[in-house]
Amino acid sequence: MMLQSHSRFLLQTLLTRAQNLDKAVELDYQWIEFDDVRYHVQVTIKNPNILLLSVSLPNPPPEAMSFDGLPLGAIEAIKTTYGTGFQILDPPRDGFSLTLKLNFSKVRPDEAYRNSLLTKLASIREVVMGAPLKIILKHLASRTVAPELDRLVAIMHRPNETFFLVPQADKVTVAFPMRFKDSVDTILATSFLKQFVEARRAASLSSAPSCSWSPTAPQELEGAPKETLSANAGFVTFVIMPRHVEGEKLDRTVWNLSTFHAYVSYHVKCSEGFMHTRMRRRVESMIQALDQAKPLEKTRSMNNKSFKRLGLNDANHTTSN
Amino acid sequence: MFQANPLRLYLACIKNTLEAAMCLQNFPCQEVERHNKPEVELKTSPELLLNPVLICRNEAEKCLIETSINSLRISLKVKQADELENILTKKFLRFLSMRAEAFQVLRRKPVQGYDISFLITNYHCEEMQKQKLINFIIQFMEAKKEISELKISVNTRGRLVATEFLKQFM
Repeated sequence: MMLQSHSRFLLQTLLTRAQNLDKAVELDYQWIEFDDVRYHVQVTIKNPNILLLSVSLPNPPPEAMSFDGLPLGAIEAIKTTYGTGFQILDPPRDGFSLTLKLNFSKVRPDEAYRNSLLTKLASIREVVMGAPLKIILKHLASRTVAPELDRLVAIMHRPNETFFLVPQADKVTVAFPMRFKDSVDTILATSFLKQFVEARRAASLSSAPSCSWSPTAPQELEGAPKETLSANAGFVTFVIMPRHVEGEKLDRTVWNLSTFHAYVSYHVKCSEGFMHTRMRRRVESMIQALDQAKPLEKTRSMNNKSFKRLGLNDANHTTSN
Repeated sequence: MFQANPLRLYLACIKNTLEAAMCLQNFPCQEVERHNKPEVELKTSPELLLNPVLICRNEAEKCLIETSINSLRISLKVKQADELENILTKKFLRFLSMRAEAFQVLRRKPVQGYDISFLITNYHCEEMQKQKLINFIIQFMEAKKEISELKISVNTRGRLVATEFLKQFM
């Protein structure tokens, strides 16, 4: 039900390559993921051990934390996560925000290590897009605040859209203006989002971040530029505490918050699909009911399920199912 | 002393009216030679039309039954409590209207001011048993239950989606 942090196709590509390094192949794959993130993978026959991975992110809007067209801290995050086996190409490939060069011959042949490294590489989106959020939440884990931050911080999560954080030493308040293009999506999403508040009330979730929904901008967002505050499905606010970002939980929290809108949007679409299926089924049963209103002879030949009518006309009939 | 179920009364009233109204006979068009049109749609000859009957359950739920010599038009307005029920109803009814051909008695566009309309002609009455047709219409009105069920399922899903998300933080 949750969105996975690694791209399955990318992981598959990397693993396949790693397992077949003795074969020289030409690979040139480009693909796109939700919220306009593009990938490009290239391997040439000349250098079978070298793999070039390029990622393109939508341009950050003016209020978002960014540096040089990438989320703030992305380059440092890549260096920290992937260590020395990678080279960051400058400038990146044409049309992309970032290009990494991986040399398979420099990767330890130990399979478990290699698989874990490639899985981390397939999660490059989480590393790059989540970098600013990770910086802030890491400080929360140590109950401090990152230096030189504004009171209100904006991070891009979708093309031209940001969500907001108020980082403090003991908690970080995260507020999402929720926007949907389609009116049905908007109404369904509003209903879903209100459920977040209801669900949180369950005793089993008492240690989860507290959350609230409001149709207008909460007071924490005072001072944000007006055009960033339009939200036809209201605002969802979470309060993240240090316990939510300790140790292993940090990465997961970063990913879940970064893809919150995508998660809600995905499930809204699933719901719509489900509704259509149900309506279709109900309509079919109503048509059947109407057929029953017709005199028996007319419908028998079509809907004959249980028995075969014997008669001269039916001598050539095969049994209908 | 029994409690009368208001829905039952409403449906019973509609059923009785339909039984009275559904006495249709073939009538060639007076205006155009060799044509045969449902007079209730044309409304050009007042002598062929009966008084329309409006059955109101409350302000938001009503049923308009218009009769003519060869055709009968039933229009329904369904209650919508909130935005979600509103779009669910609209979607459901639109779904049905698009399949009007399969339904035969369904009018593709509802009459102005109503959510859905049926057009029953004498030909339908010749092909289908009158009682069963009336039962179908009544059963159709209970499709409102479907809307409530869909609304509940949307909320249940929302709860599940929310719970899964929040669990990730624990």
